Amino acid sequence: MTAETLKRAPAVHSRGNRKQARRNTLIGWTFILPNFLGFLAFTLIPVLAAFALSFMEWTSFSAPRWVGLANFQRMVQSDTFWVALRNTVLYALGHVPLTMALALVLALLLNRKLKGIGFFRVAIFFPYITSLVAVAVVWNMLFSPDSGPINQFLHAVGIANAPGWTSSSDWAMPAVIITSVWRDMGYYMILYLAGLQAIPTELYEAAEVDGASPWQRFWNVTLPSLRPTTFFVVVMLTVSSFKVFDLIVVMTNGGPGRATTVLSQLIYQEGIGEGKFGYSSAISLVLFVIVLTVTVLQFKLQQRRER
Amino acid sequence: MKRTTLAAIALAVTAGLGMTGCAGAAGPAEPQAQEGKTRLTVSVWNYEGTPEFKALFDGYEAANPNVDIEPVDILAEDYPQKVTTMLAGGDTTDVLTMKNVIDYSRYAGNGQLQEINSVVDSLDKDNLAGLDAFDVDGKYFAAPYRQDFWLLYYNKDLFKAAGVEDPADLTWDEYTALAQKLTTKGADGKTVYGTYHHIWRSVTQAIAAAQNNGDQIGGDYGFFEDQYNTALGLQKSGATLDFGTAKSQKTSYRTMFETGQAAMMPMGTWYISSLTQAKKDGKTNVNWGLAPMPQKKSGGDVTTFGSPTAFAVNKNAAHSEEAKKFIEWAAGEEGAKAISKIGVVPALQNDAVTDAYFKLDGLPTDELSKKAFTPDETALEMPVSDKSAATDKILNQEHDLIMVGERSVADGITEMGKRVKSEVLGQ
Repeated sequence: MTAETLKRAPAVHSRGNRKQARRNTLIGWTFILPNFLGFLAFTLIPVLAAFALSFMEWTSFSAPRWVGLANFQRMVQSDTFWVALRNTVLYALGHVPLTMALALVLALLLNRKLKGIGFFRVAIFFPYITSLVAVAVVWNMLFSPDSGPINQFLHAVGIANAPGWTSSSDWAMPAVIITSVWRDMGYYMILYLAGLQAIPTELYEAAEVDGASPWQRFWNVTLPSLRPTTFFVVVMLTVSSFKVFDLIVVMTNGGPGRATTVLSQLIYQEGIGEGKFGYSSAISLVLFVIVLTVTVLQFKLQQRRER
Repeated sequence: MKRTTLAAIALAVTAGLGMTGCAGAAGPAEPQAQEGKTRLTVSVWNYEGTPEFKALFDGYEAANPNVDIEPVDILAEDYPQKVTTMLAGGDTTDVLTMKNVIDYSRYAGNGQLQEINSVVDSLDKDNLAGLDAFDVDGKYFAAPYRQDFWLLYYNKDLFKAAGVEDPADLTWDEYTALAQKLTTKGADGKTVYGTYHHIWRSVTQAIAAAQNNGDQIGGDYGFFEDQYNTALGLQKSGATLDFGTAKSQKTSYRTMFETGQAAMMPMGTWYISSLTQAKKDGKTNVNWGLAPMPQKKSGGDVTTFGSPTAFAVNKNAAHSEEAKKFIEWAAGEEGAKAISKIGVVPALQNDAVTDAYFKLDGLPTDELSKKAFTPDETALEMPVSDKSAATDKILNQEHDLIMVGERSVADGITEMGKRVKSEVLGQ
């Protein structure tokens, strides 16, 4: 098709050609139309609406009323908003590095030709395809302060004051982070495995010839070659960390007290729960700006490194 | 194939997809009512597991052969959110079930419900428990057909085994002592707890408010103190399952009572129908009885708390007149008898209805159980106001912290007051 088009190309301003171009565009649009309609109806328009709503007061029953920056003012003064923001950042700080490190370690361990290696890869990946609700419920039982296996094990190895996990404000967030790391590491391990397998073996051979130790080979060959993968993993993990909702709702529902309440949950509570759609849109706008800023920063850093 | 043909096919496919998409969004075609019948739609939750709806609908259809009732079944946990979304979208469901009074105040306040004073006036107002909760400055937008209240369930066999008398006329101190006495280590090493306090804040807070005339949306919560001390004392002495465990394991109160792991349990009357059903199905053989809630002082009036469930007419109802007729029937004696038959407590309380209720198969027939059924005063579980939902959330969070021992009772109560005042009351 391209060859044919090129051959006919010279008469740029001919009528037939313009017609052809228009037809091509039309065909292009036709192909993306089904997907684009869905995107328009369920993503783009709601996002723009949320942006507008954050400057209004709307209970979903009556017409929205313009209130300017009142929603944002209320947010800044609200204790709960700051608690939720702090919890969200804490979760991201725990979830992103831990998942990344474990995924990389697992990928390194499982990146070899060994009989039955497939089994281990599948085993590590399994949590990711398990229903999240099931994961949360089972981990809740494991974390149970008195009868849970985790604390029973801790007692058995001589730790008298085992943490209260989901029933303690200090330990609820670590418990949620542990669960989410366990669930996500398999997925990111697969990404790292793909990255590792794309590294040319010549590099390792050359390094070996130069007398590089395994540690030096990892540090100077593997890690730099994995940079694009790492970048992708960090961005995906960061975005998903800031969006965390389902796991927390099922595991702790934001408790005890407000110890694990995160921004997306606050958005849900204020909007769907209490019908304050303007206020909740304002919070979601803030969340959007945070995620956008962090992602842009990461892109900037990556560009600088590549230069 | 020519490109025009390709484009045409692609367009056709897209158009087709778009159209099916629209059809899908509009939902399945409305089921046609049988000839000459009015099809009345009623929003309900968990239709299969909430037999009162079927009892009411069957009863009403039998009495009114020209009406065909179509339940709009909604997942119980999502009920308030789903109804809000439906109403915002101009849904024409005729009758809306008000699952609790907090949601009712929101819908009524936003003008989503029709005023039904004419229906309420034709009802036996004096005997309709919980009606006051629906009074919005003299206007009623819903009428209660069901009124649940809290009482004390107890396991007669465990009481007999411990050699103690039935829990009549208990004070909270006596109740605590009794719970401790009834706590035993079973032969299989499993603990049988003297009582079980479920994790809901109402177990502690609503009863405290009811018995101390406290205002749960007022911002001062000193009246919670005694109740928290009782609850924490029980927990500390091991007479009830520890809150943290109950919460993290999502312990079911039904399992606690039906498997004999708890000798007593304060709980709402809604549990009666599921308990009798479970016994009928052979899922449990617990020998149970009812007693009044423990009180502050012995010998006085019995005060407990509860909340009504009501029917309202949607502002956009397709059949307003038929909807009103249905509500009048459901909140009246016929409706009360229909749900009494399956062990659900009707809002209408008169001798005929109570008699019908205790005829139910599997219900305990002793005097104490009957006495438990007629408390002297039933306070509303949570006051109706536009501040109720936000206050409820804060009280819940702080309740958690007190019960897991992260905050002392005094600190918790101070924090509740501080947060409600600043976040809800705007002081």
